[in-house]
Amino acid sequence: MPDAVSTSSAPSKPTPTPPKPFGPEDETTLRESLKRCSPSTFEAAVQFRKTGNPEHVPAVVIGIIERFVEPDLRIKLKDADDDLRLIEDLGIDSLTMMEIVILVEDVLQMSINNEELRNLRTVGDVKTFIDCKIRGLPLPKPTKFIPIEHIGAVMPTQPPFLFLNEASVSSTAANGKYRITGQEFFLQGHFKDNPVMPASIMLEALGQLAVLYLLEGAPTEPGKVVSAQMIFFTGCEGVRAHRICKPGDILSLSIKPKRMKMPLATFEGAIRVGQDKAVIAEEITLTFGLVDAASTPVSINGIEHADTASVADAAVTPATPLRAAINA
Amino acid sequence: MPRVFITGLGFVTSIGNDAATVVRNLCELRHGFELFPPFQQPGIPCKVVGTIKEFTTDSTDPEDWTFPSRYQIKRELLRSMAPNGLFAHCAALQAIEDARLTEADLSNRATGLYAASGGSPYLTHYHHDRLLKHGVMRCSPLGIVASIVGTLNFNLVAAFKIQGASCGFSSACASSAHALGYAFDDLVLGRQKRMLIVGAEDGNSDAILPFAGMRTLSLQTDPSLASRPFDAARDGFVGTGGASVLVLETEDEVRRRGVTPYAELLGWGQASDGYNVAISHPDGHGSTAAMQHALRAAGVAPAEVDYVNAHATSTIIGDVSEARALRAVFAESASRVAVSSTKALTGHGLSLAGAMESAFCALALREGFIPGNAHLTRVDPECGGLLLPRTTEHRQARIVVKNSSGFGGANVALVFKRVA
Repeated sequence: MPDAVSTSSAPSKPTPTPPKPFGPEDETTLRESLKRCSPSTFEAAVQFRKTGNPEHVPAVVIGIIERFVEPDLRIKLKDADDDLRLIEDLGIDSLTMMEIVILVEDVLQMSINNEELRNLRTVGDVKTFIDCKIRGLPLPKPTKFIPIEHIGAVMPTQPPFLFLNEASVSSTAANGKYRITGQEFFLQGHFKDNPVMPASIMLEALGQLAVLYLLEGAPTEPGKVVSAQMIFFTGCEGVRAHRICKPGDILSLSIKPKRMKMPLATFEGAIRVGQDKAVIAEEITLTFGLVDAASTPVSINGIEHADTASVADAAVTPATPLRAAINA
Repeated sequence: MPRVFITGLGFVTSIGNDAATVVRNLCELRHGFELFPPFQQPGIPCKVVGTIKEFTTDSTDPEDWTFPSRYQIKRELLRSMAPNGLFAHCAALQAIEDARLTEADLSNRATGLYAASGGSPYLTHYHHDRLLKHGVMRCSPLGIVASIVGTLNFNLVAAFKIQGASCGFSSACASSAHALGYAFDDLVLGRQKRMLIVGAEDGNSDAILPFAGMRTLSLQTDPSLASRPFDAARDGFVGTGGASVLVLETEDEVRRRGVTPYAELLGWGQASDGYNVAISHPDGHGSTAAMQHALRAAGVAPAEVDYVNAHATSTIIGDVSEARALRAVFAESASRVAVSSTKALTGHGLSLAGAMESAFCALALREGFIPGNAHLTRVDPECGGLLLPRTTEHRQARIVVKNSSGFGGANVALVFKRVA
């Protein structure tokens, strides 16, 4: 058992998976700790404690979160995407979050400090966070929620050609929402007496989310930021539309960076309406350019672009694909 | 000056978990004692407890607890409760239903809640143990609110969305009597229109056994002999837990809502012995003064009192000092004022006692009975000169006094009147 006082006050240093043998007594304790979790949660925890394989971690973490969610909300976790929000969607308050953390610490034999906790907003944040801790990777930047006014302030596109009402951006993904109001000017003609959101505009919306990611979430070189004036579309592949989208539909947009190498950034994108798949884009590629951090007037929320330490860390640790690409 | 009435009652006690059962047991003098399983081992000399039936709370994890299915309590509420919090929550639900209070009646700036418990030594012990064993950052985030002395008010105020006055009272075995007294003051001063008064205790090993060291617990192994206030053979008190809740309201509210009160609370008084940290004054000086203050505040002459529900816990020193106080207050009418201690049936509920026994007085006033002294066979000569009925009398009292005393020589007396 590590001394909780000293480890928790230390910065979140990578702690290698404990090579401690996992005995029958540990299994009994673990079973007691997880007695209100599903059997599969317990199994995953046993496997993790025996092998140290981080692949078992998501099942443990989701299983523990599920145990603390009111029964009628648990269904949401069944096919949860990583955007499911802990407070707003699952009703988890900060005290329940502490209960979750203490059980996770106990079961996975790790320490999480208060500052780290504050940044965890979604199920995806929690999974990524724990995964990074277990693997000893530097922690990702927290997911930022970007309200409409900020979107308008940073984006080069503007109404009536801006198709994002809200967005959240982390270093590994961006998610957004757009509600088709029916007032969009192009719906008057697309189609006659039958307003249908054009697939090309839906692709544009995904592109806009990728632009927002480049401006707000993408890791860059020290002292540099992506210039809003230097991002342009270059191409896309594997675009398929699955569902007709009409006024009143809320588009849930998501993009994930696949490759990033100056001056090109390639993303995969998807749009859902509720649980329905609406549009898939296997690849959307944008070009972008960097400018000095000081010369940019549009940085919001005080992101640390000059994170020298973490880039240096990334060079020596097995990096995430994205970081590897930047350093390539 | 606004008049104050009792309009709702709730019970989780060793002699019943609803008003009807409590009335039956008070009338038939059936006690709530059992040989308490955790005490049946060689190192523990006392064996009997006033146990709470239908509830199991012998786990540090509230999700393990069982309670009657008529109470639905979400994990979100349960997780911050001690056993006494569960008892109090259930008793509060009864009292709210009994008083026919709506959500709007409960949740407003003119409705408050005062509570009293000794906290939960049981959960304090558990959480401190975890702190030492697993490190300070592995303590339950709710350990404090579940276990410190204010746990009842924290939990109930949040659960019932109370927006008026709220706080806890801590004068040991006088605590919930103090809570009633100060709630009365708030109503009379026009600060509040309605108050919930809550007393509750865990009633488990951690709550009761520390009294063994003081040699105040009865060592009797026969449940029907262990608690016998005023009896020459008494040898200490029997511990109990549970909860009682009273709803107090001003006359205006009673009229507006059209409810029939149990009784009127006429006034109260308190006085301290200024004598010893744990032993009551041998002549009951503080208790005498508390009763005199209460009667004066209520505008009642001693001779008008029909019944006193005594604090008498069945300890050797305490019962004598209260008997002396009663003789001093009632003087020549002492032989006409019925006195009994219902602790002979319930055991001593510590912080809960004042509220529980005041609620018994309210039942007695509404139903028209005077509880008798169970298990009293030979009156201690030192406790003589009092009218100590052996059985419950079915006659209507008009004025009833409730005594409570706590450590440090704190004494409280409350005066109730029948609603004509």
